[in-house]
Amino acid sequence: MKRSGRVFLYRAGAVLVLFAIAAVMFVVGRGHTVFFDNKTLEYEGQSYPSVYRMVVKNKGEEVAKLNKRERGMTAWMGQNFEMEVDVILEKNGEPTTYPIKLKLPYSQDGIVLNLPAMLAGLPREAWMSEFIPSEPLGAVEEEVIPVEEELVPADI
Amino acid sequence: MKTSSTHSNPGKGIGAFMGRNSVPLMFIIICALFIPISGFSFNYLLNEIITRMGRNIFLILSLLIPIMAGMGLNFGMTLGAMAGQIGLILVADWQIWGIPGIILAMIVSIPISVGLGLLCGKILNMAKGREMVTGYITSYFFNGIYQMVVLYMMGSIIPILHSSIKLPRGYGIRNTVSLLNMRQSLDNLLAIRISGVKIPVLTFIIIALMCLLIVWFRRTKLGQDMRAVGQDMQVARDAGINVERTRIISIVLSTVLASFGMIIYLQNMGNLSTYSSHTQIGMFCIAALLVGGASVEKASIGNVFLGVTLFHTMFIVAPQAGAKITGDSMIGEYFRVFVSYGVITIALIMYETRKRRNKLISGRQLQLAQNEVEK
Repeated sequence: MKRSGRVFLYRAGAVLVLFAIAAVMFVVGRGHTVFFDNKTLEYEGQSYPSVYRMVVKNKGEEVAKLNKRERGMTAWMGQNFEMEVDVILEKNGEPTTYPIKLKLPYSQDGIVLNLPAMLAGLPREAWMSEFIPSEPLGAVEEEVIPVEEELVPADI
Repeated sequence: MKTSSTHSNPGKGIGAFMGRNSVPLMFIIICALFIPISGFSFNYLLNEIITRMGRNIFLILSLLIPIMAGMGLNFGMTLGAMAGQIGLILVADWQIWGIPGIILAMIVSIPISVGLGLLCGKILNMAKGREMVTGYITSYFFNGIYQMVVLYMMGSIIPILHSSIKLPRGYGIRNTVSLLNMRQSLDNLLAIRISGVKIPVLTFIIIALMCLLIVWFRRTKLGQDMRAVGQDMQVARDAGINVERTRIISIVLSTVLASFGMIIYLQNMGNLSTYSSHTQIGMFCIAALLVGGASVEKASIGNVFLGVTLFHTMFIVAPQAGAKITGDSMIGEYFRVFVSYGVITIALIMYETRKRRNKLISGRQLQLAQNEVEK
């Protein structure tokens, strides 16, 4: 093979390797904000009530302690979400631990999980929804001032 | 590692040593005076300096290759910084977090920085002997294009989805982009604490690898070619080296490394000032390198480390020392900016003086040789 052909192959190989790494990073690095609701849910005419308290743990670390009608959140990278939910049904009651694994939808930044409905074994669409942040009312138009020269930078 | 064999002052003895290292010595004296006045504890200072070393060294290392190729201080490294910032803005919008986000931003910045480096290299080849001022002005020119891309094309032509990044009018990027989801993810991975001092081990491993890469690169055929071009372009051309191509490669490499350096720098800071982060970065990196004892024609990895340590020690202690001495911290702020620009000015004056003196000496030698022949 000619030298130019070899060089072309090396370059093409390098570009392919970069594309492959980028593709992997797109998947493993995709961040999601997962919200947990301990709220009563009505589904097909039936009510799934909130419980006295729920404690959500990620990798052994407590990320949310939810009383009735409360919402908690955590940040998660990737699509294979894992958590442990300690359910306490009454005051001074013993917690029951539920290990949960689920796939997060890639396209959604914020995902809301209704824990009582999830633990009741309802279908996915009943307890998982997309979190859509509301636009601030009367948002002030931000003035863009491209800085030409900053005499004293705050930090370097 | 010396990036050029040209020695400004080959003399020996204390006087010659002090002459060669006047700038670092001056900074050592300034720091030695200011540290006790500032009243900062040793641990605080060490912590700050180590953080700033991790933040800045990679960026400054990107300046070594063009110096090796005789192109002086690459003021065009700002172009690489812009490429890194574009990578980070896109990655922040794609919601890729942590180290994957940093790696992806680097990959995205590669084609942009290669393109900008190629353009800059071609421009600098048209302005041989005036690379520094050309690079400086080129960076202003490209800053205009960067602003056009970020302010008008992002969100309208280049898709930007998140309103936290986009301006409320629907296109353009906000003044500040939060990098909270990748903040210090490189620094915190494998980080250790020794008596309250945080050492970002992974960042230092990356810096060490970069240093080894530069040492290795210098010994490759391309590295040898760059040194030959840096010493004498005409001799290098006569030896069959494609001078223009070698110079362009050196600028492309420097621009790509600068884009990586900017990403490392910004992940440490945790936010990105879209329209100003890159504007001063070249100036401060060059000042730090010069403070470390480097010159326009000679720089080493040692200069980088010494420069970052001294320059940033001065940056940390000067405002506090200024406040203690004069009662106004702004004096210290202005002092450090004055010193940054001053050290660059001194280096450029010294370079130009030395160049003229060498020209004069070689002219005299040529005259003497002609006289000898005539006799």
